[in-house]
Amino acid sequence: MDKLNENVREKKHIKLGEIDSGPILVALLLGFIAVAIFVILRRRSAGRRDFLLTGLCESGKSAIFMQLLHGKLPETFTSIKENVGDYQAGGHSSVRLVDIPGHYRVRDKCFDLYKHKAKGIVFVVDSVTVQKDIRDVADTLYTILADSATQPCSVLVLCNKQDQTTAKSAQVIKSLLEKELHTVRDTRSRKLQSVGDDDVNKPVTLGKPGRDFEFAHISQNIQFVESSAKEKELNTLTDWMGRLM
Amino acid sequence: MLDFVVIFTKGGVVLWNSQTSGINFSSCINSLIRGVILEDRNTESKYFEEDHLAVQFKLDNELDLVYAAVFQKVIKLNYLDAFLADMQFAFKEKFGSIPALERLGSEYDFDGEFRSVLSAAEEASSKQVKAPKAMRSYNESQKSKKTVASMIQDDKKPVEKRVNIQESPTQPKSQPSSPPLTKQDIIQENRRKLREKLTPTKKAADTKSAAKQGASEKAGKKPRVWDLGGNSKDAVLLDRSKDSPEDVQYQSISNELVGTMQGVIPDLDVESEDDVDSEEASSEEDNGSSQSPALKKNKRGGGLVSYFRGIVGGKTMSLADLQPALEKMRDHLISKNVASEIAVKLCDSVATSLEGKQVGTFDSVASLVKEALTQSLVRILSPKRRIDIIRDALECKRNGKPYTIIFCGVNGVGKSTNLAKICFWLIENDFNVLIAACDTFRAGAVEQLRTHTRHLNALHPPANHNNRTMVQLYEKGYGKDAAGIAMEAIKFAHETKVDVVLVDTAGRMQDNEPLMRSLSKLIKVNNPDLVLFVGEALVGNEAVDQLVKFNQSLADYSSNENPHIIDGIVLTKFDTIDDKVGAAISMTYITGQPIVFVGTGQTYADLKAINVNAVVNSLMK
Repeated sequence: MDKLNENVREKKHIKLGEIDSGPILVALLLGFIAVAIFVILRRRSAGRRDFLLTGLCESGKSAIFMQLLHGKLPETFTSIKENVGDYQAGGHSSVRLVDIPGHYRVRDKCFDLYKHKAKGIVFVVDSVTVQKDIRDVADTLYTILADSATQPCSVLVLCNKQDQTTAKSAQVIKSLLEKELHTVRDTRSRKLQSVGDDDVNKPVTLGKPGRDFEFAHISQNIQFVESSAKEKELNTLTDWMGRLM
Repeated sequence: MLDFVVIFTKGGVVLWNSQTSGINFSSCINSLIRGVILEDRNTESKYFEEDHLAVQFKLDNELDLVYAAVFQKVIKLNYLDAFLADMQFAFKEKFGSIPALERLGSEYDFDGEFRSVLSAAEEASSKQVKAPKAMRSYNESQKSKKTVASMIQDDKKPVEKRVNIQESPTQPKSQPSSPPLTKQDIIQENRRKLREKLTPTKKAADTKSAAKQGASEKAGKKPRVWDLGGNSKDAVLLDRSKDSPEDVQYQSISNELVGTMQGVIPDLDVESEDDVDSEEASSEEDNGSSQSPALKKNKRGGGLVSYFRGIVGGKTMSLADLQPALEKMRDHLISKNVASEIAVKLCDSVATSLEGKQVGTFDSVASLVKEALTQSLVRILSPKRRIDIIRDALECKRNGKPYTIIFCGVNGVGKSTNLAKICFWLIENDFNVLIAACDTFRAGAVEQLRTHTRHLNALHPPANHNNRTMVQLYEKGYGKDAAGIAMEAIKFAHETKVDVVLVDTAGRMQDNEPLMRSLSKLIKVNNPDLVLFVGEALVGNEAVDQLVKFNQSLADYSSNENPHIIDGIVLTKFDTIDDKVGAAISMTYITGQPIVFVGTGQTYADLKAINVNAVVNSLMK
């Protein structure tokens, strides 16, 4: 009996002493690599995959959202909260479509939540009242374009409500916006500093400072197309989104 | 009798509506959303009026829906609260099980349920109207509230009131409240009244004219000298701009004041009601502060338990659950100098927006409340329209008109100082400025503006700007009508192609009616582009009163349909408060207008714009 115990004890000692640290280290290393790959994949998949619908109030964003996602066109009111949905087109994977409310008070906060994950930004413009509201439209567009988080995004300016007879065409709106953005860039640079200024989101100056503002000068890829949500003519939008996905 | 009932999501998509008439109610609902829900004014009374329509609404925070009923304003429907609650219940029962992703896509056939709920509500209300009024219980009656001592009648007590009546026989007509009379007095009174009835007007007129004559005989007729009024004859007396004091003759010296201020300055004579109020307030505060450590202890224990419960999650919040956290938030806001009414209203609105929501895992009630409050504070402070003065001034310059800004506010908030700072900012940005000195009352106001003009012109000499004087002063001395001076100044600016006109007005208290009238006339006559209310950041609960009364006066005394009310706020003396920035919230909540400038000091460069996130962070710290 004692001999058996001694043998067992010796075996135990041998096992403790001779532990091969090699396999353990290899296992740890493999585990580490697996976790690292997992994290990298997660980050890549959590990268920019969203499309944002922005614009002023009453430009038709919620209507376009419903049209794209559900094929219906119900009556819509001023949005208080954002609408989020998954959009599937053709054979591509589904992307998230976010409809940001246009009202001034909630617009900025909501946009800040989603801008870091945005791949493409759709700026919806009411083609009928664009001349009257050109200053507000340009101000909003400038804020979106000058934000440091949206520099790698592609931008599509959608001139909505083309079914109305007094709607302006995309070319006209483009030139109107170019002229107005030139002035906005000028006045923005003269704005007052804020109380308790934070340097986190320092805005980018658009275009080439000395010359007139042109959309070709900015870092984002921007296009102008026409559409009409009422007449269900959103082909231009779906094509652009399909190209980006 | 309901014109329109609609159920829509908070994202703006209509899920179902009752289309009984062809009229489009979307503008009404949009104003409801913009005027109430987005302004965070959804307190207990969920009612909103516009033109001849009224809307009653109910928020559903669990499914993110809004239920709204539109009806004619003149018809009072008292079953709406119950009706909306029943609608919500029926809707949840029928469609509550649809998952979130499909909610927007599914069809909502709700007409049948709607009609049944409506008929049930109407029946219930008609029954309630017909039911007889229930009798009061003893506890509700007045008798139980009286004490025994007050009900004992003591006939032996001398009635002092009787002596009063006999002493002043000339006053009975003007005394509406008659003291308790004994039997004899009652008989006398009745006899007198009978006599009066028989000889109708003569005696009353006689006594009245006798009283008047008596009063006028006492003091010989004197012309009344109003402190605030005057005409052009007084201008010579008040004109200080000529710098020759010995020419001026002091005709209206009030000699009675000489000798009254000798010796020790007497203490402030505050009325007793104020004392009582302040005592009550201070005792409440003491109670509150003694309660809050006890509450804190309770909450700490309660907080731990609710935290653990929060980990499990799935609990729906009711108003009772939210109350402790809301009270703490409210006290915190008040300690940060937010007006107490505003803090109460804000907490109520946060409560209605959180009621019925589910607490997720790892969330506590306190953290949800804090988050919701931060969101609503950011929403209140964010401007509701674009503010870019330089852009608008450029637009006006292009059209050939001057851009006019009028500064108004109570006394001593910093109107003239901040006007000079804004003027400096504008001339730095290459705008021509004309300052109109419409403060014709305060001694030295015109001189102050003249000094600023000289200083600003020295900083930006005409040589640097194409030989154009950047700042000019338009003044007509003291005692004149402010509205007239402003009109002439704007005309002058138009003729001489000046870009911006800044109008400085006299400080005035918000309940001084003649001065508020004259301010409203100034604004109505000159039709400015921007009316800025200057308020100091040190103000506490007074801010609410000031702004409400200013806005009210501007709306009331203007004869237009759309009166020009306050467009923006200038918050001054911001450097004197370190993190008690609550005045910003009070002012923007009351008016709904944005804070355009922030004044942070006495030099020309101390002018900043507001940073919403920084202010909210320092409020919630």
